[in-house]
Amino acid sequence: MSTMKTTRDVKGVGVSIPRPDGPEKVTGRVQYVADIQPKGLLHAKLLRSPHAHARIISIDVSAAKALPGVRAVLTAKDIPHLKKKAPTRAHAVLAIDRAVFMGQPVAAVAADELSIAEEALDLIKVEYQVLAASIDPLKAMLPGAPPVADAGTEADTSEALAHSAVAIAKSEAPAKAVNISQQARLQRGDPAKGFAQSDHVLEKTYRVPMVHQGYLEAHAVLAEWDRNGLLTLWASTQGSFNTRSEVADVLGIPENRIRVIPVECGGGFGGKIRALCEPITAVLAQVTKRPVRYVMTRREELQAGMPAPQVIIKLKTGVKRDGTLMALDAETVIDSGAFSGAVLAVSAVFLGSMYKWPSFDIRGFEVLTHKPSVAAYRAPVAPQTIFAIESHMEQIARDLDLDSVEFRMRHLIQEGDPMVNGQPWQSNGAKQVLSRIAEHPHWKTRKQWVAAAGKNGKRRGVGLALGGWLGGLQPTGATVRLNPDGTLAVLTGQVDIAGTNISLAQIAASAYGVDTDLVRITTGDTDVAPMTGLSAGSKTIYTVGAAVLQAAEDARRQTFEIAAAELEASVHDLELVDGKVTVRGMPDKGITLATIGKKGNLYMSKTPPVLGKANPAFTQQAPAFAAQLARLEVDADTGEVTIQDFVIVQDVGKAINPLGVEGQMQGGAVQSLGIALTEGLIFDDSGRLTNPSLLDYRKLTAADLPNLETIIVEVPAPAG
Amino acid sequence: MAKQVLSCTVNGEAVDVLVQPYVTLLDALREDMGLTGPKEGCGTGDCGACTVHVDGKVVASCLMLAMQVRGRKIRTIEGLAAADTTLHPLQDAFVRLGVPQCGFCIPGVLMAAAALLEENPRPSEEEIRYGIAGNLCRCTGYTKMVAAISEAAGTLASQRSAR
Repeated sequence: MSTMKTTRDVKGVGVSIPRPDGPEKVTGRVQYVADIQPKGLLHAKLLRSPHAHARIISIDVSAAKALPGVRAVLTAKDIPHLKKKAPTRAHAVLAIDRAVFMGQPVAAVAADELSIAEEALDLIKVEYQVLAASIDPLKAMLPGAPPVADAGTEADTSEALAHSAVAIAKSEAPAKAVNISQQARLQRGDPAKGFAQSDHVLEKTYRVPMVHQGYLEAHAVLAEWDRNGLLTLWASTQGSFNTRSEVADVLGIPENRIRVIPVECGGGFGGKIRALCEPITAVLAQVTKRPVRYVMTRREELQAGMPAPQVIIKLKTGVKRDGTLMALDAETVIDSGAFSGAVLAVSAVFLGSMYKWPSFDIRGFEVLTHKPSVAAYRAPVAPQTIFAIESHMEQIARDLDLDSVEFRMRHLIQEGDPMVNGQPWQSNGAKQVLSRIAEHPHWKTRKQWVAAAGKNGKRRGVGLALGGWLGGLQPTGATVRLNPDGTLAVLTGQVDIAGTNISLAQIAASAYGVDTDLVRITTGDTDVAPMTGLSAGSKTIYTVGAAVLQAAEDARRQTFEIAAAELEASVHDLELVDGKVTVRGMPDKGITLATIGKKGNLYMSKTPPVLGKANPAFTQQAPAFAAQLARLEVDADTGEVTIQDFVIVQDVGKAINPLGVEGQMQGGAVQSLGIALTEGLIFDDSGRLTNPSLLDYRKLTAADLPNLETIIVEVPAPAG
Repeated sequence: MAKQVLSCTVNGEAVDVLVQPYVTLLDALREDMGLTGPKEGCGTGDCGACTVHVDGKVVASCLMLAMQVRGRKIRTIEGLAAADTTLHPLQDAFVRLGVPQCGFCIPGVLMAAAALLEENPRPSEEEIRYGIAGNLCRCTGYTKMVAAISEAAGTLASQRSAR
C-alpha cells in the first residue's frame, strides 16, 4: 500500500481526538432502536419454551387473539416457508414441532401496548411433551444421547467465513454420535515418540463456562413494510449487509427488497453479528401492516441470547527438563448450544500455533446441546483457548522452575513460522508485547511485592499471559466526496461499534491532506452505502481504513487534476496546504478546495465533482497480540480476589487515535477479567438457566477494579 | 385500565401527563414524555442505565412506579446541563477524555456521578468507584470514567470558589 502523502502535518492519523458523537451520547440524545417511536407503532413479545427439550403437541392462540389491542398472534403454522432442519438460529424463527432450548420462541404477538402483548402471552396455551435433554456437552457427545438437531441438519460454518479467521482446518467425516455437528483433527510429527522422549508430561483440563457478551443494549429491531413490499429494518447490528442477507434468506425475499438501517449499537462484542429477532419482527410487521418493534428483555438475553460457548479443553504436553517442547495432545469440545455455528479451527490454531510444537495431535468437536446457540465474544473461541494454553505454559514453567517469560519467549512463534494448518504466521508483535510487559516494574519487583504480603491475611500473586488474534479480512468499500465548501464527506456502510468512525475520518484527513475537523463520516444504510462487511474480527480499521485511505487518495488525485488544469501546471508540481492547492514554490498561484468543490456543483460547469472511491479486497491478515499483567490479593479465608494492579500491553499496528485505542484495550481487558472471575451462565440438569438476571449473573463494576494501565506497542503490518 | 394524571416537575418544568397506573417511572419518561435518555438495560434495577434523580436522590427509574413521583422533582440526563447548548462539567469531561463508547450506559452513569458530586464534592478515587458501582458499563473498563468524574469534581469546585 502506498504511504500517505501529506504536504504538511495535518491533524489526522496518530492524534487523540474525542469521538464526534460524544456530545450526543452524554446528553442522552443518541437514538437506539428502542428510542425510535414511529406513528402506529406496535410492540412485539415472544412466547418462549419453558422446557429445554419438548415436543409441541398443540398451541391454542384463540384467547390471545381475542384480547383487545392484540393485532397479531403467530405460530410456526402461520409462516409456511419455515422449514424444519433450520441450519442457523435465525432460520429457526419459531419452533415448529419441537423446542430445543429453554427460551426458544414458540409464538409471537404484536399489540398496541407492550403490556397488552405481555398479557396475550399468558393467554396462549401450549401443550408440551417434555423430552429428555442433552445439557452437559461431554454427555451429549456420547452415542444414545438425546438428539438436538433433526437428522440431516447441516453444520453451519458461516461464522468461520464471516470472520475470515483461518483457512478451515480439514474436517473429518461427521461422527456417528448424534450431537457432534463438526469435528476436525490436525497432526504434525510423531506425538507418541515426543511424549516417550519427554522428561515432564503435564495433563490438565480447562473449562470456560458459557458467558454472555453483556452489551448493555439488548437485541432490538424495528420493522416496517411499505405498500410496495419493501421492508425497512432499523437494527442494532454489527453488520447491516450481513443482517440484510440473513433476513432475505430466512424470509425468501430478494435482498433489494430490504433496507437495513444500522441504528446506534449499544454494544455487540460478537453477539450482534448474526440475525436473531429480525425475521420474526419482520413477519409481524408484514402481517399487521404496521411498524413493529421488538426489544429483548435482559432475562431473555441471558436465557436465549447468543452467548459465547462453553469450552472444555484437555491438554497433555511433553517437554524436556530444560523446557524444550516435545509433544502436544489436545482435545477441544465446544458446546454450541442448539444450533451449529462455532468456529472450530480457531481453537486448533491457538492451541498448536502460539508456541512451536514439533509434534501435535489436536482434535476439535462442536457439540450440540439443548441450550441457547452461541456466537462470538471477543473473537470466537480464541479467549477460551488462549486461557487454556497460557495457563498450561505457565504451569510447565513453574513445574520446571523456569522463568515464565523466558520459557514463553524461547518457544513463541514469529513471522514465517508455520501455523498448525501449515500457513505461515504473518508479521506480528507477539515477542514485542511479551518483552515489553516483562520490563514493567510490576513484573521486575514481583517477588518483593508478593513477599510484602501478610498482615491482613491476604496472599499475593503476580501473573502475566499472552493472547492474540489472527485478524479478519472482508472486502469493503468507501467513497470520499469534496463538498462545495471544501470540506470532505466520507461514506461507508461500516457500523461504528468501537469508535472506528473517528479513526476513519482521521485516515481520510491524512490521506487527502486536511485536518480531521473538515472531514465528516457517515455510516450509510444498505440502500446507499458501499457494501461492507461485519464490524467484527478485529478488522474494521485494517480493511475499511484501507478503503478510506485509497478513496481519499483517489479524491486527492482528482482534486489535483482539476487544480492542474485550472492553474495550467503539472500535477507533480502541486501541493495542498491549508485548504488550497498551490504550485510548489509559488504560494500565490493556487486554487482553494472550496473553489474546486463549487466548480463540481455549478450549473453548466465542465468540472467533474470530486468523488474518490475504493473497493478493495484483501489477502494478507494482520495478527495482533497483547500481554497482560495482574497483581492480585486473595483472601485466604473467603477466597475473595482483589485486583490491585492491571497492565495491558497491546500491539495495535498503528494507533490511529490513541484515545480510542486505550478505551478499547481497557474495555476488552475487563471483559476477560469478568470471564476469569465472576461470570458464567449456569444451567441446571434440566437445561434451566439458574442465574437469569444481572443480580446473579455478576459483571464487574467500577468498585471491583483498579485503574487499568495501557501501553501501546506499534508493530506495523506490511499491508497496512 | 383508565389512565391517571401524573403531576410532577421534570427537568425544572411542571408536567401533567396521562399515564397508566401500572407503568414504571422509566416507561412514563420514555414512552409518555418522550425522554429517551434514561435507558432500560435490565428492568430489574441491576444495571443503572435508567438512573434519574427524584428530589435529588439517585433512583433506578425502572423500579419505581410513575405515580409514586406525584408532586416530586425529577431530573433526567436531558436536564443535567444548564441549557441545551451547554454541557455540564461532567458531560464535558466525559467527551474530552473519550469515555463514551457505545454510550448506552452513559446517561445513567452521569446521573449517578452528578448525585455523587452534589453529596460529596471532592470524592476520592475509591468513593467515585463506589459511587458508580450501581452502573454497569461493558465497553470502557471504567478507568477513563473515573478519571473524568474526578476531573469534573475539580472543575465544579473551582467554579464554586470563583462565585
